[in-house]
Amino acid sequence: MASLQAEFTKGLWKTLPPFRLVLGLCPTLAVTTSGINGMGMGLATTFVLIFSNLFVSLLRKFIPTQVRIASFIVIIASFVVIVELAMQAYFYPLFRVLGIFIPLIVVNCIILGRAEAFASKHPPVVSLADGLGIGIGFTVSLFVLGTIRELLGSGTLLGVPVMWEAFEPFSFMLKPPGAFVALGLLLGLMNLISHLQARKGGSR
Amino acid sequence: MRDIIKMMVVLTAIGAASGLTLSVIYRVTQTPIEYQTIKFVKEPAVKKVLTGYDNDPIMDRKKVTVGTDEQGKPVELTVFPAKKDGETFAVALEGKGKGYHGTIGVMVGVRKDGTILDIGITSQSETPGVGTKVTEPAFTDRFKGLSATGEIAVDGISGATYSSKGVMAAVTQAVGYVNTFKQEIF
Repeated sequence: MASLQAEFTKGLWKTLPPFRLVLGLCPTLAVTTSGINGMGMGLATTFVLIFSNLFVSLLRKFIPTQVRIASFIVIIASFVVIVELAMQAYFYPLFRVLGIFIPLIVVNCIILGRAEAFASKHPPVVSLADGLGIGIGFTVSLFVLGTIRELLGSGTLLGVPVMWEAFEPFSFMLKPPGAFVALGLLLGLMNLISHLQARKGGSR
Repeated sequence: MRDIIKMMVVLTAIGAASGLTLSVIYRVTQTPIEYQTIKFVKEPAVKKVLTGYDNDPIMDRKKVTVGTDEQGKPVELTVFPAKKDGETFAVALEGKGKGYHGTIGVMVGVRKDGTILDIGITSQSETPGVGTKVTEPAFTDRFKGLSATGEIAVDGISGATYSSKGVMAAVTQAVGYVNTFKQEIF
């Protein structure tokens, strides 16, 4: 059971998707103009990731290697359409904001990456833990990035104004270059933390 | 040979299972999606263009067949009636026109006596800051009180001629529907 926990927690820090693997950057940069948008995108991706991992893992013995990519994509695409329809039916405002990036989850390399590199080689329960861990890591990353951009770019936190009155929002942060800057700063911060941790471990 | 057959069988099975699941989910979500679209896209526009009613135009909406498409399927138009004391005195309906970039959807409120109450833009993808000026009251108010017959034209916005013309075309189309299908609509 220790490995189950390890598979789950590795997605939260060690292989945190957008920052550690630097994968899935397209949605990461495009939709994180506010915390809520980032979280919505993250949750949609998590849902697809969990179920595609589960089904790929269940079917791994039946799928011939030659057609595995095609099979994975069909499975992933099915869940993406489910998410899209469900979101349209029950969370319409979010659906309008995320728009084209929902169908584009199909080509999110994190999902196909996990299906190919992990779920196709491991049993269902472990794959589920892996999908959940990576998904939550992705959601948290998008939420943090979105919150930072929202705070600096429009001076709000989850839609509520929090900055002082004379605060002039950096609308730059809401534009694509602002996304790169925010991502770069976060990456740097994470590397610094890891570096300090490593040094502390070494001096002991 | 066996490998090839296996590949075909597996892929076909996955595809079929996926198709079946999706068709079920599509059926389940179709009604809520239609409701949500009307609620978030149409309702604000309907509320803007109609005034002085005591019913719920969204609940009382009705569909009018306005023609057929290339495949011979009927094209339906949703009409939102505004009633007072049970009597329909005005309707809101949507017309579409070609803008500078894509189609512009315009909700038009038309009185029974044949004048335009107000218009509201429901969907557009015009150039931000330029073409989008047609969504502002400064432009949409120009349609208020016009007689709802024939070609509807107002002064366009300079710099946004195509967008302005798109809105006019959409209003003209909506008004045309009202005049052609007056019996069914009122």
